[in-house]
Amino acid sequence: MALDEERLENVRMLRESAAAVADRNDLSRIRALRFQQPGFDRTTWRQMAELGWFGLRLPEERGGAGLGMAELITLTEEMGAALAPEPYIAALMAIGMLDGDHLQAALSGERVVLAAWQDKPRQLDGGAVEALFVDGRVTGHKLCVPMAGGADAFAVTTRQGPAIVAANDPGVRIEIIPAQDGGHWGTLTFEGARGEPGRAPCEGWLDEAVLATAASLLGLIDAALERTLEYLHTRHQFGVKIGTFQVLQHRAVDLKQHTLLTRASVEDAAAIMDATDGPAAKAAASRAKARSSDAALIVTRQAIQLHGGIGYTDEHDIGLFLRKAMVLAPSLGDAALHRSRFAHFQHQADEIDAGTTGAREGTPL
Amino acid sequence: MTITRYTLDDYNGLSDEAFAALVRDFLHEFHPPELRNPVKRLHWQEAKPWYMELARHGWLAPNWPKAYGGMGLSAAKQLVYVEAFETFGAARTPDHGMMLLGPLLIRYGSEAQKAHFLPKILSGEHIWCQGYSEPNAGSDLAALRTQAVLDGEEWVVNGQKTWTTLGGDADWIFMLVRTDPHAKKQEGISFLLVPMDSKGISVRPIVNLDLQDEFSEVFFDDVRVPKANLVGELNKGWSMAKALLGFERIFLGSPRQSAHAFARLKGLAQHHAVWDEPVFWDRYNQLWLDLEDHKALYERFADSLRKGEALGAEVSLLKLNQSELYQRISEFMLEIAGEDGGRLEPVDGQADLHAPGAFLTARAATIYGGASEVQRNIIAKNVLRLP
Repeated sequence: MALDEERLENVRMLRESAAAVADRNDLSRIRALRFQQPGFDRTTWRQMAELGWFGLRLPEERGGAGLGMAELITLTEEMGAALAPEPYIAALMAIGMLDGDHLQAALSGERVVLAAWQDKPRQLDGGAVEALFVDGRVTGHKLCVPMAGGADAFAVTTRQGPAIVAANDPGVRIEIIPAQDGGHWGTLTFEGARGEPGRAPCEGWLDEAVLATAASLLGLIDAALERTLEYLHTRHQFGVKIGTFQVLQHRAVDLKQHTLLTRASVEDAAAIMDATDGPAAKAAASRAKARSSDAALIVTRQAIQLHGGIGYTDEHDIGLFLRKAMVLAPSLGDAALHRSRFAHFQHQADEIDAGTTGAREGTPL
Repeated sequence: MTITRYTLDDYNGLSDEAFAALVRDFLHEFHPPELRNPVKRLHWQEAKPWYMELARHGWLAPNWPKAYGGMGLSAAKQLVYVEAFETFGAARTPDHGMMLLGPLLIRYGSEAQKAHFLPKILSGEHIWCQGYSEPNAGSDLAALRTQAVLDGEEWVVNGQKTWTTLGGDADWIFMLVRTDPHAKKQEGISFLLVPMDSKGISVRPIVNLDLQDEFSEVFFDDVRVPKANLVGELNKGWSMAKALLGFERIFLGSPRQSAHAFARLKGLAQHHAVWDEPVFWDRYNQLWLDLEDHKALYERFADSLRKGEALGAEVSLLKLNQSELYQRISEFMLEIAGEDGGRLEPVDGQADLHAPGAFLTARAATIYGGASEVQRNIIAKNVLRLP
């Protein structure tokens, strides 16, 4: 499953350019933006567009770069490590539903178009869409649209397919719900809002967003551990560096173990999704999200503990990682949801592997 | 040795797939069916037919160079070999001669030692055991005190070794002995070869928690061996033994042990009719996910080996993760088993459904090959670079 040389080079270059846009060592931008509206940076957004990030997964014939999941997770991992507030994943989800001028404006970063796909809490798989798109008008509710206050338009999933709705349409109401990480979600209410038909997203679009989110969590975990190790090296108590205490060393090793497992899980899922789009891909995405959601809460919680009193202050940056984890861990499905979803699809994948298609005994989803 | 279609000049020239197919065919053709998936470590007499079959085809020592009668496999090909053996459920033979002593002799032994000992390992004439641990030198192995004192042309050995696997079956023991009691503890240790039928050696089996007797204690009371039985330089035994801890450490982190236990967990759950309970599912799915993630982690290390890279200290994390996952699975088996969890013997002789056996066996996984706590010390220092 290892990447070939060309893709390794892609990944290396993307990681470098991502680190330049989202600097994991400087959180002053993140501090300045939090609890503000819209809570993210249009300048950064245009920079991301110039680097071609929004068309990363889009096929070349539609003006994208046609790159794989291994490349995408590199970007979201770096953004996660830098706690970047830009709603990149929601924008990518929307871009799969756009055509023509809408697509061009989104790719160029000129307009921020975000996906509004979630009708209910803890929703993931299809069939649950309730919003309607009839006679060019959208009605219904959508939840948990990240940074909705800064959007120009929404790509709204409806029973009749995607509809593109301008954020300032009189038929759109946006309720802003502030989030722990300093950003917010929008709860959208559509009451006969004017919509234009979008295109149906590709089969694996939700799974791609799930894995991209898992990779953000991976970056966040990695950076939180890095900072915590640094602290163990510098903080003195009882006349010695606290990193000399065995109990803290073992705790740190446990956190490293979570980090390494999360990386193995996320990168393995990307390789699987790049190779197949059947149940094995869904299982892998869910496995990575379950792992990263759990690991992120464990690692950031322990990071606070290992920082002691200073970790409990708002002034210290380590708390920003915990707060981000609290938002991203349940986003696009929490660990429990993804554990059972993993089992459901892995079971199907194993049956396909074994060449049996008989009645399934086993996991209820 | 007989030349068959399985005896090649250069196994490394095959693709990994072709070599894996060759190993699978070999196992199907020659592995004694009754020894497949043994629930305990086989003694020499039980494993002998399989050992001799491997020897006959030149397949006994995958890790030795061709020139010494091994298969000369690259690290990547050894990975394929071991994985195919594990997947098949091949019985483990008394392999300390091949795995540990052989490579050490090849690297540090004299020409005479190589010429004398290596062929006898391959022929099954010498079965070797290892004498490293002592009652007061476990995790702190360098604290070992079994002493060898030179008396004319002979070493006189006194002391005690423990956790010697299959000590009662072995013809010879390779051991670490203290030859300079005044040096820094790692620097006064030498590597010595001793016949197990020497006067003054006694062996006492250790019955383990699972009531098996694969381990033993070995006592040395004025045991005399020729001076020439020392391997390498005097007082360099510690660094020699340590240098041999190479990429083989990946095998301690192989997912096979956990995967096997997980398959048993599934059977056990069906047997105890907890298959339909939601509470069961949540933990079962978690373990399933843990297993798949561990496989992904293992593959990262295996990929490095395939690319010809050396494994870093991070490989300790693989062992740590595997052993703890294996234990979690075995603990869940015990819980599911209900009252059967307290049974001494398997229900209706079905060893696969014997949760208490799996549970007890798994206790060792976080102790042998470097206890989890020691692994964490190593990772903290060498991976996390903590002070």
